[in-house]
Amino acid sequence: MKLLIKKLLTLLAFSYFITTGVNAQVTSLSISPPLIETIIKPGKSILIAYTISNHGDPVILKPYISSLEIKENGKIVFKEAESPVRFSLDNSDLALEQPFFLKTAGRQQLLLRIRIPEGAPEGDYYHSLVVESQPPPLIEGVSSTRNKVSLSSNILITTTQTGNLNFNGKIIRFESLPRFKLNLFGKRINIFDSNDKIPLLLILKNTGKNFFQPQGEINLQGNFGERAKYDLVPVNILANSQRLIPATPSAEINSPQTNSLTLIGFFVGRYQLSTTIKLGNAKLLYAHTDFIALPFRFFIAFLFISIITLLIIRQQRN
Amino acid sequence: MAKKSAGFFLVLLILIIILIPTTIAANPAQMESSRYKIQMPSINSEAGKMTSDSNINLSTTLGELVAGEFARNGYIVKAGFQYIHSIIPFTFTVSNANINFGELQPYQPATASANLIVSFGGEYKYSVSAIAQTRFQTLNGLKFIPDTQCDPGKSCSKTTANLWIAATTEGFGYNMLGEDIPNDFLNFQYYRPFPIQNLGDEPQIIMENNDVTLKSARPYTHQSTIVFKTNIGPLQAAGTYQTIINFIATAGY
Repeated sequence: MKLLIKKLLTLLAFSYFITTGVNAQVTSLSISPPLIETIIKPGKSILIAYTISNHGDPVILKPYISSLEIKENGKIVFKEAESPVRFSLDNSDLALEQPFFLKTAGRQQLLLRIRIPEGAPEGDYYHSLVVESQPPPLIEGVSSTRNKVSLSSNILITTTQTGNLNFNGKIIRFESLPRFKLNLFGKRINIFDSNDKIPLLLILKNTGKNFFQPQGEINLQGNFGERAKYDLVPVNILANSQRLIPATPSAEINSPQTNSLTLIGFFVGRYQLSTTIKLGNAKLLYAHTDFIALPFRFFIAFLFISIITLLIIRQQRN
Repeated sequence: MAKKSAGFFLVLLILIIILIPTTIAANPAQMESSRYKIQMPSINSEAGKMTSDSNINLSTTLGELVAGEFARNGYIVKAGFQYIHSIIPFTFTVSNANINFGELQPYQPATASANLIVSFGGEYKYSVSAIAQTRFQTLNGLKFIPDTQCDPGKSCSKTTANLWIAATTEGFGYNMLGEDIPNDFLNFQYYRPFPIQNLGDEPQIIMENNDVTLKSARPYTHQSTIVFKTNIGPLQAAGTYQTIINFIATAGY
């Protein structure tokens, strides 16, 4: 019996060591900084130090620059780099479009030089520094897909000789998204129940030549004189694009991605919302909307309870 | 007795309705998560640093460009997202770079998955897109497994997922499960075909977030699972089928 157990244990230990495990190849990369914004004169150049870190298996990476296009729906599309801006790496042993090896837990600094040639047209140029991993080798005789990763950090460049920037925009939408809408004498009235969350939408379009961060706020005023103010988060709005502008305190984990702000509370009566947005030094944009909140649910519940109570009283009298 | 009870109840209800305050969020600027709550009377348009009792520092670096600096140096550079104090690297992980389907058998769907993990601090609008370089084809490109059309009567497209359950439905496609995925992936049975680069398709977004993430543990991460699926019919040519899937992870702007 002892001999049998010994044999079994030996067999088990042996099989453990000869079994070849198949480990999935992990590709895990990080890039810092994730965003660069720069305003630069033609004829000048700047140097940005990026850090690429490998948190996965050893990998071969290729850095390159692509152009960015922002679609109407906010989607980012990469194109081949096409602008007067010149990019190169100052690293002595690395170059754009040339692959390099990065070991596990390794870090590589990429010294990206961004140069604006003399005479380059003024305006905005949007690019990304992309590091692309090489896919693993093909496994013969097995149907498979191989995955590769392209990790990018965006570069927003404004070229100007004088430092004077062209900020222009308009508010595309500023409204609440109501439960009920009522059209009365040509005017639309947004109606909510008193307990409803009030989602707000603020979409701003950049009609100027340069990207900007809107500075401003949304103000709420109730019919009893109560007020609240919500500051806009200064996200970048690129030239010829529009963007939903978030406002605090909607920087919360459960805030829907499609709203600028969600008001939570118990509302009764008519409320007015206004937004004032500052672009650059001078331009101000303004918009307003309003909504009505009534305690429909309470009325219904009150009515129901009243009817029941009256029925009980009548029954008692009878 | 019943009359008195009914009357009391009515009075109580009326009192409740009258006494419920009209409340507007009393804190105009409030950000919170399960771990912390930051309350500020307002967020000013000036750079500054605020500290709290629990040693959480929040700095706001809002404001206009410094004209003097531009005139002096000819450039101004800002790194990171200006409304977030520290520069947090943007990290993307694919748990499995090699998706192995083994030997394909007719009408025996094969699936394999990989986890996609994004860590992006607190900046807005990251996205992860995917695109296949080629069809799911043999090395010489002469034979391919077509994109899935999903089940009969439940057609799917590169932008809209639909049911793919039947064992007799052939094709190649993917499903998404987890956080920040498109909302047409209703459950594990909904699939889309991949967009294909050499046919001129554009990458399709498979993970996206437009909000500040306030998870309880740093670094902030969101995770999803991509499930690859392929199924062949009895007439599919024998061979080893392969393609390369490019996951394009972009930090916000």
